Amino acid sequence: MKSEFWANKTGRIGLAVILMLSALTARAELLIRVTEGRVDAVPIAIVPFEGAQNAPEDVSQIVQADLHRSGQFKPLPAEDMLSRPRNESEVIYRDFRVLGVEYIITGSMKAQESGGYEVSYALFDVNRQVKLMSETYRPPVSQLRDVAHAISDRIYEQLTGIPGAFSTKILYVTHNRKAASPYQLQYADADGHRVITILRSKEPIMSPTWSPDGRKVAYVSFEDDGLPAIYTHDLATTSREKVSSFQGINGAPDWSPDGQKLALTLSRDGNPEIYMLDIATKQLTRLTQHYGIDTEPRWLPDGEHLVFTSSRSGGPQIYKLNINDKSVRRVSFQGAYNARPDVTPDGRYLVYVHRRNGNFNVGVQDLQRGTFNIVTRTDMDESPSVAPNGSMVIYGTQDRGTGVLEAVSIDGRVKVELPSKEGEVREPAWSPFL
Amino acid sequence: MRSFLNPLFALMLAAALAACSSTPTEDDSSATDDMSQQTDTSPVTPVEPSTPAKPDTSSIPLTADNFYNHPSNYDGTTDSRVIYFAFDSNTVPAAAFETLRAHATYLKNNANAKVRLEGHADERGTREYNVALSERRSKAVEKFLRVQGVSSSQIQIVSYGEEKPAAFGHSEMDWAKNRRVEINYTAGRP
Repeated sequence: MKSEFWANKTGRIGLAVILMLSALTARAELLIRVTEGRVDAVPIAIVPFEGAQNAPEDVSQIVQADLHRSGQFKPLPAEDMLSRPRNESEVIYRDFRVLGVEYIITGSMKAQESGGYEVSYALFDVNRQVKLMSETYRPPVSQLRDVAHAISDRIYEQLTGIPGAFSTKILYVTHNRKAASPYQLQYADADGHRVITILRSKEPIMSPTWSPDGRKVAYVSFEDDGLPAIYTHDLATTSREKVSSFQGINGAPDWSPDGQKLALTLSRDGNPEIYMLDIATKQLTRLTQHYGIDTEPRWLPDGEHLVFTSSRSGGPQIYKLNINDKSVRRVSFQGAYNARPDVTPDGRYLVYVHRRNGNFNVGVQDLQRGTFNIVTRTDMDESPSVAPNGSMVIYGTQDRGTGVLEAVSIDGRVKVELPSKEGEVREPAWSPFL
Repeated sequence: MRSFLNPLFALMLAAALAACSSTPTEDDSSATDDMSQQTDTSPVTPVEPSTPAKPDTSSIPLTADNFYNHPSNYDGTTDSRVIYFAFDSNTVPAAAFETLRAHATYLKNNANAKVRLEGHADERGTREYNVALSERRSKAVEKFLRVQGVSSSQIQIVSYGEEKPAAFGHSEMDWAKNRRVEINYTAGRP
């Protein structure tokens, strides 16, 4: 089931300028490898789009990589195709049915006089021998990747009933201790391309998180004299604001679903407690009262509850807090170490770090059925973050002593690696739908 | 480790994990740098040692288990700036008492001197929880200095968790070197 492909097009021959550009950018990009797919992944044929060979981005290759990376589809290699239809009239269903292919995607890319491209595609059902959908986009060259991911989203939703999350971004921290500024905060497309650096620092950067509209991020930075402060940072304008710099810990920010408050951890009153900060008024409300450690708050989608890590019963466990009456209830009961929860968008599943036999793994707790499953099996897994469509969890782990990112489906059946080429990558945060 | 698994074994492991994953997992308390179960009453008011003469310590082997309390890590003067901690502990080690008393004496005699106590944890466990744990170590050292009569205005605490390791490997000895509080003079350095 092990298959490997490079998310960037290293083998393609194109204009010298393009090759030079990709050589420059490939270094920092995350390379994606599907290490486990589903045995029942759906065979699909993405026929190389007509005209894509001469385009600056091959949309058909990007769509193929997206669908492959979901683990739910098994793309047919182009060299195995018996025919390569360019449009509906050229589709010979029999050629694909004999190979067990269930769906076909055809398409084309045509350069426009305006400098952009016309990108068309169509999706066909092999068994029913019908066209399921077709669309045309006319993006500038700079948005070809966006169009490719949008097409992947549409096809994924058409075939699975779940909105695709290919057009989203991943926010993460890198650490390269040999660099002049070892700590960097970056974000990239969900396939690892188009890396943008938000912040470089000599001091640690921690706990990055998205605003619910995807326009801002919040994080902890020790840049100011080595002391921790929480910042909000507008991605488009790059303007930022220091919103919390109290004595002691300023940590673990998480944006409320309405975007108006941050939950955070402060130890200003003596030991770590959960607080709620109104971003506009700066009003601070203390939510927990306990001599143990309370930290790592995450909002539930209702905006009325938080889950958080607390040592109030001994080792760390997950608790649920009602922000109105401040009542607290324990939710995790298996094992002696459960921490750093995240929540699926529907509020049904908690995803958190669970220790078992000395290993730290990502566990998924179904709050409706009460079941608990461990979905990873490396030994230093941390910082799980759920995709906005609830399908995958991205997390940090170690590969031969270096921090890398991996993603796993919520049922544990699909695993994807995103190894970085330089330094450590950690604390991924999956964006909302953008 | 994972890269050495062959795919078939990996699948079998996955099946095994899936089969047992909804049963209660065993409750091990062996593998994290977690002293949260301790109460905050660590022995920070030491009894004067009865043997003032320094023993010869060169024969005591240095291991990951005794690293925090090994005499070779502390010279009894303000030149020693790092206090190490046992696994799962925020107890100031006895071997560091003399060193901390030297810092306390210096701070009391130099009111302009200020220290920043920088707490650190090893890499095991989640990052923000480790920040909280490392704060407990800094607070234990702070309490020691305060009991010796150092003014709170001379002490600042900052907690880095696992973000600034001193040793970058992943062995028991690396972890022992990372469970620490660094004493950094921000003013009036000795």
